[in-house]
Amino acid sequence: MRRVVVTGLGMVTSLGLDTETTWRRMRAGDCGIGPLRSLSLPAEPVQIAAQVDLPADAPGGRRSNKCDRMALLALEDALAQSGPDLDSGDPRRRGVFQGAGTSGLPTGEAYLLDRMAGKRGRAADPVFQNSCGVTDVLGLRLGAMGPRSTIMNACSSSLMAIGQAWEQVAHGDLDLAVAGGAEALCRMTFAGFSCLKAMDPAPCRPFSRDRAGLNLGEGAVHLVLEPLNLAKARGAGILAEVLGYGASMDAHHPTAPHPEGDGAARAIQMALRVSGLFAEEVDLVSAHATATPANDGSETLAIRRALGDAAKRVSVTASKSQFGHTLGAAGAVGAATAVLCLRDQVVSPTLRLEDPDPLCDLDCTPLAARERRLGVALVNAFAFGGNNVCLALRRWEGR
Amino acid sequence: MRQETVITGMGLVLPCGTGLEAAGASWETGTPCFAPLPENLGTGLGAACTAFSASGIIPPMQSRRLDRPSRFAWVAAGQAFQDAGVDPARLGLRLGVAVGTMTGGNEPTEAFLRPYLAKGPEGASPMLFANCVAVAISGYLSTAFGIRGPSVTQLAREASALAALEQARRWLDMRLLEAVLVVGVDGLFPVLSELLHRTRLSVREGLPVVGSRRGLLPGEGAQAFLLETRDHAEARGARIRASLRGVAALSPATPEPSERSRVLAETAACLTPSVPDAWIGGSSGHRILDEVEAPLLSLFERWPRPRYPKTLWGEFCGSGGQLLAAALLDPGRRVLVTAPASFGCQYAAVLEKP
Repeated sequence: MRRVVVTGLGMVTSLGLDTETTWRRMRAGDCGIGPLRSLSLPAEPVQIAAQVDLPADAPGGRRSNKCDRMALLALEDALAQSGPDLDSGDPRRRGVFQGAGTSGLPTGEAYLLDRMAGKRGRAADPVFQNSCGVTDVLGLRLGAMGPRSTIMNACSSSLMAIGQAWEQVAHGDLDLAVAGGAEALCRMTFAGFSCLKAMDPAPCRPFSRDRAGLNLGEGAVHLVLEPLNLAKARGAGILAEVLGYGASMDAHHPTAPHPEGDGAARAIQMALRVSGLFAEEVDLVSAHATATPANDGSETLAIRRALGDAAKRVSVTASKSQFGHTLGAAGAVGAATAVLCLRDQVVSPTLRLEDPDPLCDLDCTPLAARERRLGVALVNAFAFGGNNVCLALRRWEGR
Repeated sequence: MRQETVITGMGLVLPCGTGLEAAGASWETGTPCFAPLPENLGTGLGAACTAFSASGIIPPMQSRRLDRPSRFAWVAAGQAFQDAGVDPARLGLRLGVAVGTMTGGNEPTEAFLRPYLAKGPEGASPMLFANCVAVAISGYLSTAFGIRGPSVTQLAREASALAALEQARRWLDMRLLEAVLVVGVDGLFPVLSELLHRTRLSVREGLPVVGSRRGLLPGEGAQAFLLETRDHAEARGARIRASLRGVAALSPATPEPSERSRVLAETAACLTPSVPDAWIGGSSGHRILDEVEAPLLSLFERWPRPRYPKTLWGEFCGSGGQLLAAALLDPGRRVLVTAPASFGCQYAAVLEKP
């Protein structure tokens, strides 16, 4: 097994169109959730979301959808930082691993709307702009001839994508992988979470006693992963080390998490085992923390079950309080948060956590960022169908 | 050192019927299953699982909550476990699931969106929304069979099931799991046949014929395969249906069909140093795939000529799962499967029977 490191990070979020802008605003405690602009859904009770305003000159052709364009912009950001030489090396040893939520669905919605209005509609768009499209756009930009993996694990997709990329780089099958996710707002997810009564009409409050649901968000995040020896050989800057991942299924319910956090705890334990970590080594958990009543309580229990007494000393951060729930991209957003926290030895805040739920009794970094020594971070992402993923990262300390 | 992966169980829901016997007869006779689609599934010809019934297998209360692909997957998975002689609940944490699908989640998405777009929030159904994501299928399998290990749902267009197969092999190779259920699954739905017709992907008249450029016809179904390491299978005295000698993929560096063909040939060649006994091809009758696979016929003249399951059971129909099923049903001992995709990764696999 080869050691795998992150040499590039690209973020396109509601807080900024690049990593450093996003991170600066995260540390400052800014919130990307605001009035809903990109969809017109006047009958919906929730009228807020975390949206990305792309500039007109964002990469992607005239026919590209927003997901493709955000993903490409995030990739350029990641490549600018990593600086790999894409003109040399074997392109068969480069791969793309993309977590998808609803990418491509807005074109399908537009077609259905047209047809229901008696219009002809552009039939080719939903046929050819499916969720694989983002992966291919990134693969072509990279000149990658290795795997192009599109993962449809809903809200844990992009964390699973990073896990898959780690597997293939660690096993020596790839020398460079880009992994992450992209998600654009669409009617289906807005209407779906609304009818499940899972959305808060106000900015969400993860781990709060009065938390009332999630806010939807959009964005794209990509990580560049390489084997340590090759990254060092080319003098790349290293942001963090990927140690491994764990995954599990709840075998419990189509949409609700296991109330005791059973499946999530097993994913965390598997991540520790695969990574060769003890619970006592964990300093940070970048939590799934959707702010739904069911999730945050069961996630707290899962962290406690998996880490035991060591849970008392970990810091927890809930990035969805800043970005909303970016669904297919959410795991990658959580991973990027952890990478930056490890790099700068600071925990980004959980916003609006003024009245913590006694059942969520971990140190959830309320309201403001906090400096502390961080060596190892875990990242959680959970999804419909009881699909749980946990990724383990270590601070890069030069050896 | 790589672990040898073997297939010890198979379950099939195909347009020709449910179960291995129906599929075997269909493969042997080579009779296409296309017929006019029922109104609730689309228009024109297609290969629908019209005789499919989950009665007596899925409890009625649960069956009502499931979309068609999830029901197909449930029944096929149950057959695969039975065929392998495995109690999935006993494997629990050591059993994972890898699903490949091109259309999973789309049927409920259409059913969810139409009333929502027409009536607004009062038209939205929470029960349908839960099925709008492809990952719902693995969630139902997990609950039904007590699967508590890792799960992944892969989308690789027409080769999605081979992407799932590749991930399953990797988990077994890493010794993370003792067994993985691989499922290829798809369902028909009205807007799919409309889109295929309007984009001239589907046949206007007659049946799909590879090389004719007339077009494809859609199909539906689920194919489930239980994968284990050889050590695990032998330790429990399992009958081995086939050994997975290799599964590989390469992606085209440019969008041209010739580049897709070139990488498919390279993938197949790297897996097949010796001449296979049989070749299962993924061409569908539409030039978008046929043009990718056809050049391999002249490149590998010594190989046996391929047979094409999609001309019997339809495109999608398991997104490559139907190709793996045909490989296991075919009398050939060492079988090559090529799975061209309309874009992106091009997959191939080699199965060898005892």
